[in-house]
Amino acid sequence: MAESANAPTSEDSYAVSVEGADIKYRVYEDHLDGARAVILGRLRSRTAVTVHAVKDVSFSVAVGESIGVVGSNGSGKSTLLRGIAGLQSLDAGRIRVRGDAHLLGVAAALKPSLSGRRNVVLGGLAMGLSRSEVEAAMPEIIEFSGLDDAMARPMNTYSSGMRARLAFSIATMQVPDVLLIDEALAVGDKEFRERSLKKIRSIQERAGTVMMVTHNLNEIRRTCTRALWINQGVLVEDGPVEDVLHSYETSTL
Amino acid sequence: MPMSELLEQTRNGTLRDVHESSKLVPYMCDVWKRRGYVRYVATSELKRRQVDNVLGNVWHLLNPALQIGVYYIIFGQLLDVGDRSSQNFILFLTVGLFIFQFTQRATVDGAKSIVTNLGLIKAIKFPRAILPLTSTATEASAFWSSLVVIYFVALVSEGARWQWIVLPVLVVVQTFFNMGSAMVAARMTTYFRDTIQILPFFFRLLLYGSGVIFSVDAYAEDNSTISWLFTANPMYCFVTVARWTVFGGELQLRYVLSLSAWTVVLFVFGFLWFRAGEEQYARG
Repeated sequence: MAESANAPTSEDSYAVSVEGADIKYRVYEDHLDGARAVILGRLRSRTAVTVHAVKDVSFSVAVGESIGVVGSNGSGKSTLLRGIAGLQSLDAGRIRVRGDAHLLGVAAALKPSLSGRRNVVLGGLAMGLSRSEVEAAMPEIIEFSGLDDAMARPMNTYSSGMRARLAFSIATMQVPDVLLIDEALAVGDKEFRERSLKKIRSIQERAGTVMMVTHNLNEIRRTCTRALWINQGVLVEDGPVEDVLHSYETSTL
Repeated sequence: MPMSELLEQTRNGTLRDVHESSKLVPYMCDVWKRRGYVRYVATSELKRRQVDNVLGNVWHLLNPALQIGVYYIIFGQLLDVGDRSSQNFILFLTVGLFIFQFTQRATVDGAKSIVTNLGLIKAIKFPRAILPLTSTATEASAFWSSLVVIYFVALVSEGARWQWIVLPVLVVVQTFFNMGSAMVAARMTTYFRDTIQILPFFFRLLLYGSGVIFSVDAYAEDNSTISWLFTANPMYCFVTVARWTVFGGELQLRYVLSLSAWTVVLFVFGFLWFRAGEEQYARG
């Protein structure tokens, strides 16, 4: 593993510290729910398949740094981000974050049957904001997402691009200390991507730390100063964007 | 920007393990911080229930009223068990059913609270305990209309008495009992999806064992083993104390002690046990 010149030197300046993180999924070949699974699971020897999604990954991110994560589909990038967000438990290792980490994932509605507006309120309150803080952020969210009238419609009527717009607004309602972006911009139109990148830049200016997973390498070139390349759960390379992207693009892995 | 200035701007000064939800005090602070969520979801859920049905909020009262009617006809008229207690049978049923169903509803809603909020759980990190607590709070705010009905029936049939002021206190205690019960049911459901299917039968059984639709005083009065079994049943205790608040008479201290002990134990155990499964809920 190449040690990056950009890597922070002292722990005082870390925004994210990942030490030997190991994440495994246990997947049962035939997933039964309820009583049958419990009974049969004990009778049979369990035919569980363990997917080792993240293997002993270590790196640290300095406050204010922006990191792009690349790798082929299924290489464990999303699982890693979920681990940093605290949404996925670790099997070994430790992940520490300074402040709050918000994950902006491939947008699903929080509550599909509720209106976009109610989803915003729900998300904000669940993140720990007060009702008045959410209401104060609402005009900006409506403006940023450009959803005006659609805010009153149930979210299950939204297109994936509209969901992405709203999800982005929810995740950035309170400027997070660490923003984790998982392919969330991919479904948006050109205008939305420009607006999102602008917002990301303003978060960076406010000392926010950004980690983004994307297959759009130009986005990483424009936004990030450092890149990680993950292949089959292993951190292959960690370094300046151009170096890492060059070896990623020319590799045959 | 210099590093010191950057660090200044981050809200929390220290690196924190993101998987440290095992620590009790920060977890409780996180729950308390989200009381706005509980209030918001409870009130909007109540509004939604009103809008969804043509008769709206009336169903809250009509549904138990119809049940009371059915039980009154079967047990009060056909089987004539009302005589045995020589009490006002309608009021007897009203109090019993409302109090019993308060816990039943809260527990069943709690069992569903993880499954119905998976979208939220997968997207945002927050203390999951607020989900069963929210569903219980929703039932608690819906219960105040039932309380009005109890007072109304009691006023018409028995007249007011000083014990009335105890009933709201009992409801508050029962709300904490329900929260414990909802948290236990919520975690059980994540292990065993069928919990939601089994719960109605469990509560049907409990209904007959709690003296809700017929009086068990005949069995429970002396100090027999059966009487102590009834004392150990928290639902019997809640129902009995609630009936005392409208009928008056003698109240045995052991019922109050039993339901208080149950409430403390179930709430504390439910909270700790639910939290111990914190990281499993996102798996769905």
